Amino acid sequence: MKLLAIVLKELRQLRRDTRSLVMIAMIPLIVMLLFGIGYSRESGRVGIGIVNLDDKPISWIFIDSIKKVQTLEIKAYGKSIEEGRRMVEEGNVYAVIIVPSGFTEGLLKGSSVQVLVIVDESITTISSVIRSAMFAVTYKFQEEIARNNKSEFIELIYNSVYGPKVTNLESFTPLVIGIVLQLVPTTLISIAICKEKERGTFEQLIMSPVSRFDIIFGKLIAFFITTLVDMFATLGIAVLLFNVNIKGQMLDAIMVSTVFLLGSLGLGMLISVLSRNQLQANQAAIFIFIPALLFSGALVPIDMLSPSARIIADFTPMYYFISAFRNIMLKGLSLWELSQQLSALTIYATLMMLTALIVLRLRVD
Amino acid sequence: MEYAIEVHGLTKKFGNFKAVDNLNLKVKRGEIFGLLGPNGAGKTTTIRMICGLMNQTEGSIKVYGYKIPEERKEAIKIIGYMAQRFSLYEDLTVYENMEFFGRLYGINGINLRERIIELLNFLELNEFKDRLAGKLSGGMRQRLALGVALLHKPKLLILDEPTAGVDPPIRRAFWGYLRGLNKEDVTILITTHYMDEAENCDRIGLMNRGRLIAIGSPRELKRMAFGGDLVEIKVQGRIDELKDFRILEKKVDGENCSLKILLSDASLELPKLLKYMDGAGLKILCAETINVTLEEVFIRMVMES
Ligand SMILES: Nc1ncnc2c1ncn2[C@@H]1O[C@H](COP(=O)(O)OP(=O)(O)OP(=O)(O)O)[C@@H](O)[C@H]1O
Ligand SMILES: [Mg+2]
Repeated sequence: MKLLAIVLKELRQLRRDTRSLVMIAMIPLIVMLLFGIGYSRESGRVGIGIVNLDDKPISWIFIDSIKKVQTLEIKAYGKSIEEGRRMVEEGNVYAVIIVPSGFTEGLLKGSSVQVLVIVDESITTISSVIRSAMFAVTYKFQEEIARNNKSEFIELIYNSVYGPKVTNLESFTPLVIGIVLQLVPTTLISIAICKEKERGTFEQLIMSPVSRFDIIFGKLIAFFITTLVDMFATLGIAVLLFNVNIKGQMLDAIMVSTVFLLGSLGLGMLISVLSRNQLQANQAAIFIFIPALLFSGALVPIDMLSPSARIIADFTPMYYFISAFRNIMLKGLSLWELSQQLSALTIYATLMMLTALIVLRLRVD
Repeated sequence: MEYAIEVHGLTKKFGNFKAVDNLNLKVKRGEIFGLLGPNGAGKTTTIRMICGLMNQTEGSIKVYGYKIPEERKEAIKIIGYMAQRFSLYEDLTVYENMEFFGRLYGINGINLRERIIELLNFLELNEFKDRLAGKLSGGMRQRLALGVALLHKPKLLILDEPTAGVDPPIRRAFWGYLRGLNKEDVTILITTHYMDEAENCDRIGLMNRGRLIAIGSPRELKRMAFGGDLVEIKVQGRIDELKDFRILEKKVDGENCSLKILLSDASLELPKLLKYMDGAGLKILCAETINVTLEEVFIRMVMES
């Protein structure tokens, strides 16, 4: 009953706190507008990957001419056919062009060579863009390097693959949810605790026969509920308005979100211990959020980072969360196939909660 | 005699600074005890330690027999507390604040509603019950804070400058509530800066720089400050000396002479003095005890200490 009284009080105060309400509503909206609408309007460039097994001068000239194509954008380079196929299957790129070994040698001899194009057929408009672009670039390349020989000696072989059919907004949805789950609870709980410190309301509160755990858990429950509501609203907008598709089990997505959310709440409590007032708490929450975003793997793929940056990513909870959520949402994996991410997040949440509960003292001096 | 509060050798250090220094104090059950002292005397620190909001550096505290801080859990059930700084939720309404704290005291449902309405009526806050606490005037805030402190019918009210910054008529009304509560056997420990208010207390403790420099009823304190009661007597004729009595001040005004005399207890010695003067052939025109204000006492004692 006392616990319930505290939950209700927090929710009531939150309802009257316009600034926090605006933040809760605006974070998912702004992020979705930035990534969603900004990216989903196809800029005309389709992401592809390159695997160059030849690695000799003429193959690089060929790749250079692909680079110049207006409709294509080289997003990744692979080292083997398998790796290339995986990139398409996972939806990282829409196609991978595999230049075979012996490409340069073959062309110099005048014999014909075969270039394999592994293409994602799940979105037909995109695969046709790739086909026509590849046809045009190959034709032009032949003309340039062998003016005398008009016969077609570069043969394009297409290998169809069905990728996850990921639209850009879909690929950003895990990031949007990650941002909501990190920023909203951390800010709300640290502000709520600092507000009590600042206004001296703890002094009255702890003169009543209420336990420290009731106070803390009351706040935790209130902001847990608030964040979940915010997350469902965000997902709802993504699904209903932007036709985002969630392949895996909703329950798995909720479970992994809950664990990450608990970690964020713990983090928020720790921030409130270190901050003197609401402003400091707010700043600290954002200060921690920025590296979390950078090393989340959602803006820049972790594989592209330097080894030392990868180590930082290994310690970024947001990275594990986005990886897990992405796998559930886009690939339909179940939580049990994501034990690495899940255990990392569980350790994070437990650690944060425990330290926060130990360090957080509710005293006047 | 059972005491409401017993404090022995209470000391609080902030670093090297002693905010409260070896304080001994006993507050009787059912009395109104006032703690007076200039800014920074250590009143709030003392009160916070009594409430267990802060741990003492040294010394023992008992509230209705419960040791603080060891048995604080039991003690706070009988303490109603009003902090010096308004410490209720400004973004909750009057009613919501009372409802929230009521629930924390384990009062629920219809009992809670009835208790709140009773208190709102008692404190004349009913018409403001839906106003946000942050939008209340100073006087209304103080009444609300008193209301919250009274929710669980405490035996001991601890009020830290409840009337600071409040207009005199509202202060008077506030003391009306306090006296009403005191009649129902509520012990009150109160700090204040207003000397006129302190006259309402049964006993007063004067604090300065962390020490309790005097303790007693307002009357006793006045005697202590001046070493007795002051009386002013106007007589016809001349007078230079009064055998057993000390003349503090003499003003000659033509035929008449006005004297300020110090008596250790006016109620006993004034008749004697008058009889003596009569015997000495002096015609007494007027005789009255001088009403020393607590303010004078306060200034004098603080200066001396
Ligand atoms: N938390 C603290 N840390 C350090 N010093 C403190 C702390 N709290 C109080 N003090 C100091 O202790 C002394 C006594 O303060 P206290 O608040 O008890 O005085 P007070 O009698 O209530 O004064 P006022 O009439 O201004 O309310 C002051 O000098 C104050 O600066
Ligand atoms: Mg004070």
